[in-house]
Amino acid sequence: MSADTTAKLPWFRRSYRNFSLEEKYAVLGMILIAPTVMTFCAVIAYPLIAAIYLSFFSIYTPTMEGHWVGFSNYATLLQSGEFWRSLWNNIIWTVGTLTLQILFGILVAMMLHQNMVFRSLARSLVLFPYFLSTVVAVLVWKWLFNDLYGVLNHLFMWAGVIDMPVDWLGKMPNAMLSLIFVGAWKYFPFVVIAVLARLQSIPEELYEAAKIDGAGVFARFFDVTLPQLKDVLVVIILLRTIWDFKEFDLINLMTGGGPIIATQTLSLMVYKEAFALNQMGASSAVAVLMMLVMLVFMALYLRKAKGPSE
Amino acid sequence: MSEVHINHVYKRFGDVTAVDDLSLLFKAGEFVSVLGPSGCGKTTLLRMLAGLETPSAGEISIGDKVVNDLPPGSRDIAMVFQTYALYPHMTVRGNIEYPLKKRRTPKAERAVKVKDAAELLQLEELLDRKPRQLSGGQQQRVALGRALVRDPAVFLLDEPLSNLDAKLRAHMRAELIQLHERIGKTMVYVTHDQLEAMTMSHRIAVLRFGVLQQFASPDEVYRKPANEFVAGFIGTPSMNFIAGEIDNSDGKLTFCGGGVALSVQAGLLPDGLIADGDKFLVKMGFRPEDIFIGDQGDDALVSVVEPTGHEVIVLIDLNGNEVVARVNPDVRLKAGDKVKLRFRPDKLHFFGTKEGIRLNV
Repeated sequence: MSADTTAKLPWFRRSYRNFSLEEKYAVLGMILIAPTVMTFCAVIAYPLIAAIYLSFFSIYTPTMEGHWVGFSNYATLLQSGEFWRSLWNNIIWTVGTLTLQILFGILVAMMLHQNMVFRSLARSLVLFPYFLSTVVAVLVWKWLFNDLYGVLNHLFMWAGVIDMPVDWLGKMPNAMLSLIFVGAWKYFPFVVIAVLARLQSIPEELYEAAKIDGAGVFARFFDVTLPQLKDVLVVIILLRTIWDFKEFDLINLMTGGGPIIATQTLSLMVYKEAFALNQMGASSAVAVLMMLVMLVFMALYLRKAKGPSE
Repeated sequence: MSEVHINHVYKRFGDVTAVDDLSLLFKAGEFVSVLGPSGCGKTTLLRMLAGLETPSAGEISIGDKVVNDLPPGSRDIAMVFQTYALYPHMTVRGNIEYPLKKRRTPKAERAVKVKDAAELLQLEELLDRKPRQLSGGQQQRVALGRALVRDPAVFLLDEPLSNLDAKLRAHMRAELIQLHERIGKTMVYVTHDQLEAMTMSHRIAVLRFGVLQQFASPDEVYRKPANEFVAGFIGTPSMNFIAGEIDNSDGKLTFCGGGVALSVQAGLLPDGLIADGDKFLVKMGFRPEDIFIGDQGDDALVSVVEPTGHEVIVLIDLNGNEVVARVNPDVRLKAGDKVKLRFRPDKLHFFGTKEGIRLNV
């Protein structure tokens, strides 16, 4: 077959040798992305589709047997107080812990940006909570919070702040406040790293120009630092919102959603429906609804990541 | 409009002395350039005037007020940075308005002042843009506008043109001169570019290693450089130097060096500098435009010819000394030509060999 006639055949009827250079690159490209695509299908696409599929069934978890129920899982959920309560808890937890993380993170980053003694040591130490395994961290905090032998109650009583031991994890609003605090402690280093990196790239002349223009310390923070941090803060807030919203291990280990369901978030509800109540279908429905909420943040993040900064 | 008085000012960073016993008086309304090679302390001086650095010793006054202990915002100065330092998130209007806002100027007055500054700098069309949407020259003008709008006593400019391309730089130079004429404020202009210093200033302060070398008008700095450093630093191509000695025989001074023997014009050197029958080691300096190539004089060899269009720079080997001459492009020369050199007798500079101090009257 001559080169002229082979070139006219569709690509799948020619041998690789007769491909044009562009077609050969296309084949190479497909081979190179194949592992990623397959992994993506196996660990993301399949579970996602399976969850949506399962949410239309009533399934007994241990046997995984069940029958089609249509939208009834969703209808039950949306009418149940527990779902709305969990969603509300989820929002309180996310907003609360995120706010603390951001405030504390910016504050610490600005401190670490100053010329101070042992700065590099402090910069490494501040990452400690973030690197610590959640299980270990929670165990330590649970001991600190313990109402009978916890250091926290001991210290507060010694200082005269309280005259009776406080039940930090078994009562509301203490349990939620404790959770929010430990979450902030665990994750603020992430904010510190990102903010510190950005702080270091703000040109010194901007501060000098502001000084000459008559700006004081606070004016320099609000007119120079904060606007320069805006872009990185938007990304941090979106990422941390997504991560905090689906937080499971920390809450489950600290309070297990209790007292009763006072600190139960949607992640915990998914787990409880699936493995405590053995309702895999209802559990999947919660997961799907949770995903819908997260999709809003995802969309915002993608828009931010893709679009121009303005 | 205020004068600036720098009185025995020192600035040390650890072991390094960046500014060494500097005393200068800038007159009110004067355009002064602080000129010197990198690391000569000129930017440090400017930052001390601005209040961004504190002097290690000495006193700085603006007007009749000692400002050593005043923060930058209270010194009645404005500064234009080399990188412009515009606030990136604010519009041009926001940038120009900012110093007024921080001084709690009423809104109506702010609007008028911003408008005036924008008009003066031809920024009216750009007021709602962000700095990154502007060209270098426009950003430069915004930085000037931010300084102008405050109506400060003294303007401090830190190499404001060095980030612009050559053509725009020439243009902005002219604009700055006009601007200074119009507002008549004291301006302190730091630069390493002698062309900027020469063209724009009333007086130039030449610094080296933090020490003042000369503080005089551009003309004087060029014609009567105070020492060998200033002589070599000012002027492109720079001054030629030949080491040699002057001897005095019967009151007639003769320079001998580099294979050249020249009689020194009477009145060029102070009387009694060299006793009769004595010799004095010197360096003779002459500018490239003060030598002539012709058919009389000392023998020399052309080594490189660099035509620039309006003139030709010729490198000449004069008995082993490299000499640069600036000649008319109509004179056709090529490398290897044998030529004769003549010096302009009234344009010779003599410097002492030890400290390089100018010896001429």
